[in-house]
Amino acid sequence: MHLNAELYVKDLPGQLVGSLEPISMVDGNIIGVVHDREKIVNQRILVSVTFEVANSKKLDELKSIWKSRDIFISKIGSVYETLTSEFMLVGAFNATYIENLIDEVSKSTDIAYSSDNHYKDKRTAMITAEVRTEEDLDKLDEFFADASEKDDMIYIRGL
Amino acid sequence: MRIFLSGFGTVGQGFAEVIKRRRDFFEDKYGEQPVVVGVIDSKTFAVDQKGLDLDRLVARKQEKKGVSDETYSDALAVMDSVKYDLLIEVSPTDVETGGTGLKTIRHALECGKDVITVNKGPLALHFHDLIALAKKNGCKFRFEGSVGGAMPIINLCHENLKGEKISSIRGIFNGTCNYILSKMDNGQPFEQALKEAQQLGYAETDPTNDVEGYDAATKVVILANSVFHRDVSFKDVKITGITGITPDAIAQAKSHNMVIRLVGEITETRLEVAPRLIPIGHPLSISGTLNIAQIDADLAGPITITGRGAGKIETASAILSDLIAIMSMRL
Repeated sequence: MHLNAELYVKDLPGQLVGSLEPISMVDGNIIGVVHDREKIVNQRILVSVTFEVANSKKLDELKSIWKSRDIFISKIGSVYETLTSEFMLVGAFNATYIENLIDEVSKSTDIAYSSDNHYKDKRTAMITAEVRTEEDLDKLDEFFADASEKDDMIYIRGL
Repeated sequence: MRIFLSGFGTVGQGFAEVIKRRRDFFEDKYGEQPVVVGVIDSKTFAVDQKGLDLDRLVARKQEKKGVSDETYSDALAVMDSVKYDLLIEVSPTDVETGGTGLKTIRHALECGKDVITVNKGPLALHFHDLIALAKKNGCKFRFEGSVGGAMPIINLCHENLKGEKISSIRGIFNGTCNYILSKMDNGQPFEQALKEAQQLGYAETDPTNDVEGYDAATKVVILANSVFHRDVSFKDVKITGITGITPDAIAQAKSHNMVIRLVGEITETRLEVAPRLIPIGHPLSISGTLNIAQIDADLAGPITITGRGAGKIETASAILSDLIAIMSMRL
């Protein structure tokens, strides 16, 4: 689980370390920390931390450690990671064909594409897609693989 | 160790050279030299129970295109005419029937002989049958050189990574295609790059097996069966070759800081050979005739190995490693 939390800690020496240490105690991984001394509420300062923990059980464990250390959790939420992948189609298609194809998938995906001049009546389209999960990536892969098989194109996908 | 050598082309002659170069090693480690007691090529044969003079055989083969004046019609009868412990099968690959290689390997295993092969045909078509036959007759059966030439991928997975769960192997298993695609990176069209590969001896006169991805697919089958313990054959691999890759496609990839490479991929569910977009700087973006493989293991993480995928001495080095393994097991 990839999460972001806003914590308010007492403005005393050692409090920042004291708020981060519990993440290691539940075998989590700290990705980024912002210690915002400008934001003070009830003599507490803001620590914004992005981290990973294995599952919700570990997260519950972490929350109770924070509470036991008198660390106030003001906000906690998931951070979505996006996966970017490239797909290339080579074949005898025109710009309308590729735009229609992309329209079909872009309902669920952020897509950008560029298309190159034709070589021996073949055109190349490079499609960059941003998706949220591996599953979405697999679906997109399947979609382009099917389209290229149906319309006799060469399909080249990213790693 | 008495060896029967089936096939005396480039690899067979390379093996003759390699065992000559490692004479001292065999003497020091085993107190004996491996002795080749029989050789067949496509038409001729030579046998001598005391051991053949390999230098003379190589010279004769190069001069007269045969290992002797004696021809044969039944390779198995020639094998039966001498006593040997190990068959080294290096005859040309036939992925449609398995060719002579399949017959000689089967025969040797049925007779209780150990076998080393680099011949992809029998392995791609009848892997599990051959493994079962070897097991039934208590024979050692090794085939390191069949995938990636000198790149030690099979024995690495079987021996060093024995305790790992391998989730995927992705690699470049055909040096010819990689050479052509590398040349296309620099602006050469496919036809010209292929011609250059043929002139340099990297591609056959009929390049179909390489450029259509069939050669890489046989290696994918061997890895799937031997490393992933799957039961698949050549027809199970989804294959796309490189003949349709245009200069536009290469240029588009380049503008996104990528190259196109023919990648073989094996997972629990996927068996594929296809052109893929590879970021420049990624290990699989290598240029030239090298082979490379990335193994994803659960404990060790990703492991990358690279090496020369073909060549007389390089492939013979893989045979040598199998020979040493078998000789060590017999100690």
